[in-house]
Amino acid sequence: MPDILVQYEAEIWVSIGETFIMVGASIVAAILLGLPVGTLMFLCRKGQILENRLVFTILNLLVNIIRSFPFLLLVVFLIPFTRLIIGTAIGTAAAIVPLSIIAIAHYSRLVEQSLLDVPKGVMEAAISMGASVKEIVFKFLYVETRSGLVLGLTTSIISFISYSTIMGVVGGGGIGDFAIRYGYQQFKTDLMIYMIIIMIILVQLIQFTGTTIARIIDKR
Amino acid sequence: MIKLDNVSKSFSQFNVIKSVSLTIDKGEVHGIIGASGAGKSTLLRLVNLLEIPDEGEVEVNGQKLTNLNNKELRQARKSIGMIFQHFNLVANKTVYENVAVSLELANYPKKERRNRVIECLQFVGLENLVEQYPAQLSGGQKQRVAIARALANNPQVLLCDEPTSSLDPNISAEILGVLENINKVLGVTIVIVSHEMEVIKSICNRVTVMADGEIYDTVLTNPIGIQHIDKSPSYFVEQLAKVGEMDDA
Repeated sequence: MPDILVQYEAEIWVSIGETFIMVGASIVAAILLGLPVGTLMFLCRKGQILENRLVFTILNLLVNIIRSFPFLLLVVFLIPFTRLIIGTAIGTAAAIVPLSIIAIAHYSRLVEQSLLDVPKGVMEAAISMGASVKEIVFKFLYVETRSGLVLGLTTSIISFISYSTIMGVVGGGGIGDFAIRYGYQQFKTDLMIYMIIIMIILVQLIQFTGTTIARIIDKR
Repeated sequence: MIKLDNVSKSFSQFNVIKSVSLTIDKGEVHGIIGASGAGKSTLLRLVNLLEIPDEGEVEVNGQKLTNLNNKELRQARKSIGMIFQHFNLVANKTVYENVAVSLELANYPKKERRNRVIECLQFVGLENLVEQYPAQLSGGQKQRVAIARALANNPQVLLCDEPTSSLDPNISAEILGVLENINKVLGVTIVIVSHEMEVIKSICNRVTVMADGEIYDTVLTNPIGIQHIDKSPSYFVEQLAKVGEMDDA
């Protein structure tokens, strides 16, 4: 192993750990909140079973607004909110707040778009069999679109990694922050490149896993 | 069995169904025929309230569907089976799962589900394909799965929306044979929408001819020939009569 990696081994492991915490929390937020928000957005669209212009317009607008922010500005903008719920705006835990918010907005949009691919006839068959909204969602929509949901989540996770590199500005740490502070600002270009390589490997692994799972579960 | 009473339906100012009344008796195989845009599919979809009528009442099995709340309507739909032109199977569910889901929705006892699914698949002749996915099946097989799914909860009524329109003529005849069996063996009332004269002629007892959102004519078809109830000229009635004459000759 190159000397420089040996020299900074402890710090590198800590920063990888921070990245995992931040990205992990984003994934949890995406699944627990992004998935339902995206589903609700889809169901409230014109012609869908919960058609509701007001709810759709509000959700659609919120998701667009959050995604319009340059992420660095969103982090700064949310500092008062973060302080309100975490008690501080600095550190890895605090970094989770803006990351979760962008994660929800990002994934909910991909969920909504995946659901649009479900043939209208499948929805009609479900309705004609007397399925409730909950049954339509879990027994039909999510089953039919599961590979799209996995691919969307894969794309989202890779974006979350990218977003997490910015969290250094609020002391969130992570691989990206380490690469900038040690590699770039201390002129250790080789260290920076090694960090980029770690990121590349991470992204490749995630994409490969996501694509493989999506292919296996897609029977269409 | 099915009673539509002065039902009307419009889509953005366009009157698709204009105050139509129609009664279909228990055990009947009733055809609805007409040109594209005549409103025949909409009329069928009004029966299980896939389309909610703007006016009028819909009664199935002695139950006024138009008076039910959401929950009661969902319950009522479980005894009205429906099949479609494009089958509408869940592509990510196996043949078995596609049929089983209809039992799940109806809270069919868990232990007996497997037997019931196999029983339904046997009825349509697909008991050997339980673990296949729809993508691995032919069009005719997919429609058989859809029929098994529609039958699983022992419906009183089976609604068929262009059931053979995307199938080859010989496969189409097989599917019609299955439907005929369902009517004869299980006593299910069947309503078939089609634009194909052959389909209607081969299995229907009575035919409603639709034109421009209204009922143009109701025709009895029987082995002797074709008998008009309401004599008014229409392309489809003439066609039906011709098919009848050809049979007589």
